[in-house]
Amino acid sequence: MSDTLIQGYFKSKGTSNVNPALITTQDAVDPVFWFILGISGVILLAITATMIWFVIRYRRSRCPEPTSQCDSNLTLEVIWIVVPTIIVLAMFYYGWAGYLALRQVPPGAMEITATARMWSWDFEYANGRHSDRLYVPVGRPVKVRLFSKDVLHAFFVPAFRIKRDTVPGMENYIWFVADEQGSYDIFCAEYCGVGHADMHTTVEAVPPAEFEEWLAGMSGSQNTEKGRSLLARYGCLGCHSLDGSKLVGPSFKGLGGRQVTIIADGEERVITSDRDYIRRSLIAPGAAVVKGYPPVMPSYAGQIPGPEVEEMIDYLLRIGQPVKNGESAESEAGLDGADLARRQGCLGCHSLDGSRKVGPSFKGLFGRERRLAGGRTLIADEAYLTRAIREPTADVVEGYPPVMPPYPQLRAEEVEAIIEWLEGLRE
Amino acid sequence: MNQTTSSPLQRGFWEATGGRRGIGAWIFSTDHKRIGLLYFYSTLLFFCVGALLGLALRLELFSPGADFFTPQQYNALFTLHGVVMIFLFIIPGIPAAFGNLVMPIQIGAEDVAFPRLNLLSWWLYAIGAILALTSLFTAGGAPDTGWTFYVPFSVRTTTNVSLATVAVFIIGFSGILTGLNFLVTIHRMRAPGMTWWRIPLFTWSLYATAWVQVLATPVLGITVLLIFAERIVGSGLFDPTRGGDPIMYQHLFWIYSHPAVYIMILPGMGVITDIIPVFARKPVFGYKAIAISSLAIAGAGSVVWAHHMTTSGMSDTAVLVFSLLTFLVAIPSAVKVFNWVATLYKGSISLDPPLLFALSFIFLFSIGGLTGLVLGAAATDVHVHDTYFVVGHFHFVMFGGTGFAYIAAMHYWLPKIYGRMYNRKAAVWGWALMTFGFIVLYMSMMIVGMEGMPRRYYDYLPKFTFWNQLSTIGSWILACGLIVIFVNIFRGLFRGKPAGDNPWGGASLEWQTSSPPPLENFDYEPEVTHGPYDFKRGCP
Repeated sequence: MSDTLIQGYFKSKGTSNVNPALITTQDAVDPVFWFILGISGVILLAITATMIWFVIRYRRSRCPEPTSQCDSNLTLEVIWIVVPTIIVLAMFYYGWAGYLALRQVPPGAMEITATARMWSWDFEYANGRHSDRLYVPVGRPVKVRLFSKDVLHAFFVPAFRIKRDTVPGMENYIWFVADEQGSYDIFCAEYCGVGHADMHTTVEAVPPAEFEEWLAGMSGSQNTEKGRSLLARYGCLGCHSLDGSKLVGPSFKGLGGRQVTIIADGEERVITSDRDYIRRSLIAPGAAVVKGYPPVMPSYAGQIPGPEVEEMIDYLLRIGQPVKNGESAESEAGLDGADLARRQGCLGCHSLDGSRKVGPSFKGLFGRERRLAGGRTLIADEAYLTRAIREPTADVVEGYPPVMPPYPQLRAEEVEAIIEWLEGLRE
Repeated sequence: MNQTTSSPLQRGFWEATGGRRGIGAWIFSTDHKRIGLLYFYSTLLFFCVGALLGLALRLELFSPGADFFTPQQYNALFTLHGVVMIFLFIIPGIPAAFGNLVMPIQIGAEDVAFPRLNLLSWWLYAIGAILALTSLFTAGGAPDTGWTFYVPFSVRTTTNVSLATVAVFIIGFSGILTGLNFLVTIHRMRAPGMTWWRIPLFTWSLYATAWVQVLATPVLGITVLLIFAERIVGSGLFDPTRGGDPIMYQHLFWIYSHPAVYIMILPGMGVITDIIPVFARKPVFGYKAIAISSLAIAGAGSVVWAHHMTTSGMSDTAVLVFSLLTFLVAIPSAVKVFNWVATLYKGSISLDPPLLFALSFIFLFSIGGLTGLVLGAAATDVHVHDTYFVVGHFHFVMFGGTGFAYIAAMHYWLPKIYGRMYNRKAAVWGWALMTFGFIVLYMSMMIVGMEGMPRRYYDYLPKFTFWNQLSTIGSWILACGLIVIFVNIFRGLFRGKPAGDNPWGGASLEWQTSSPPPLENFDYEPEVTHGPYDFKRGCP
């Protein structure tokens, strides 16, 4: 029904210049604006003009006594109930039809995940690349899946007339198509605290070829990211952590080559978890269960295409394992302090250039003497900075509000990487 | 009338101090007029506080960047502006102040049904107000959540939200008790001959409002109590990681807070409906339609709350239903506007200050109402939601509507209460400044909102500078108008010429008793034989 509603409403098939089969979101909304504002303008003018005319025409100096004591007129009253009813129902209908256009994502839309946090945005693309500006190809509809890490925010792009809240614990979405190359403002529209006005970024609409180039131009480890996203897609990470913590099942960290005690046919055995073992565990999880864990995993036999299984196992065997050149696999996966700080939203509140934002600047932070609220002073060393990330409100620098949320989701290595990077920013 | 030798403030209810001296004659009095004046001066005080906060906000927004306040201070300022204006000024403003002053006289009663409960209402209001102010300076400092207290932010913030929610809870009880009191008064205390269809429309609007106050305010009480529980014991009701839901909070909040805007506007409409016929010397057009539309607005307005949540992530079905219902509320409001304009037709119109404010009300409220249609339509609401367009719309309705009605009511009824008249010319100047400044101030906000500037921003992109500066300049003009108005009216009330019992030629009962009215309002038991706008028979 809704399809015919939209088609009835938008007479032409599409309004996008680049992609003639598409109606852009702004073209779905703007006619509704003109319709409502136009009618409202006429009504306002009529009411005001009538009122002023009556006041002048029937002023007491001209009409010392009222020339009528009429206090009702049924016909008139019925007219001014029925006519406004029809008008507002028409407004409702157009408003609803336009809204449906905003909710129906065109087929073939590219999916991007936006995660809001206090007080920055992170955009993740299908290949695992992250950015703090939203890069999109011109002419291709984009569906943005909206998430929040902490409180309510709202994703608002005035140029495309779209807005949707990001709600913790819930997935929302919006879609749009950028018809022309350019840079469009993104605002946070739902109040979220002291950095609310600073959550500004942009949609960067670039030609498709340029977009592909940008998307591919990421730092190595594409396979790693792919394996990881497959684990997420098939729900593995719901029960198995990547960071060593114990969930329903054993952690994936350091799984490859690990000696594990399993229980098979009621007997305990120690085996090495290798490619074969992992593959068997996927197909018949109940056959050999790691000691200390409940035998609750469902079988994935026939549910995951073969090549994807191998990619996932590749990834599992690699993570947490020392590799040949002495570097840990983690840093191969891009454990880069600068990138982490950006993705975790640190730069929403801490500048890199010495300017004051919500929190103190990162520039020259490491190793400097800091005065805390309450008068104590200390040196911003590794111990202090670790505490500042884990328990931010424990020691707040004087003159700044105690508003930083704790970051329990960061692994110890990640915190270290960030602090290492901060050390590099000394001067 | 025959006592013009003594000051009006030594006559009528003014001299009936109940044997108490000084302030005790006020804060322990159960006379509805004294309680009305207590409310009037408290709400006026908070209006001035709120207006100063508003001017501070506009000052910060004169140019981009943090100029006068830090972001945290700015957030506290707009939270305070909202809480003070809504809970301490607009909601009690007209019903509790002018309703108390005028309503019992209008229906020929000697007081409200429960005078001591009435005094308790004011005390609860005062205690709530003191707690709200205390929350600024204690614990974590001034709340920074906005007046909407949205979770999860309001649960996470370290500022003193807990005390502020307790304050709102207590103030809510004050409103419930006033509503209850008015309902019983209007049902049970009407003078002989005061049939339902002879009740002045101001009282009718209070009647409709009272129902909303009694039925909707408890939901606010529950909601703020839940925030309190969430903060103090971590109940997890709104926390998705523990099975809670932040969107459920928004439903709970708006189930009260949307009907609350009708608590705010309905009495204002009532004031305007009482003023217009008097200055046109003509019966109000469509008396029954206006009375019924008040009830219709109160009823339909109670089921449109989720139009505040179009972009929240609630289901599209909910968006559909609430958008449709929202448009239906527009109809009774439109009927009222048409009736007001039609009342002027073939009248004998005297442009006295109360009427000027009433005419501004019609113009500004119409803009507020019509821009409400933009917000009611789902597609357009998505774009303008949470932008300065909403801020502009809201102020057109609440300030252009209720605020102007409050000032119209001051110019209309205070001469009755004080027995003295203000300077007419100065009032006209103040009115002109206010109306002009108002349009500059809030029209600019709507334009910059349409361009995409979100609300609750201390800083903005340079491209929004022009409209923000114009808006700030408008706020200064409006402030000048307010100063002229207040200085003039208080000079008049304390030192002006005697007003006489019926300065405007009104036909409702409050104009038939002396100015100021005696302790129990009438020296005789009034007998009502005609409608409130029957000027042929009402004016001897």
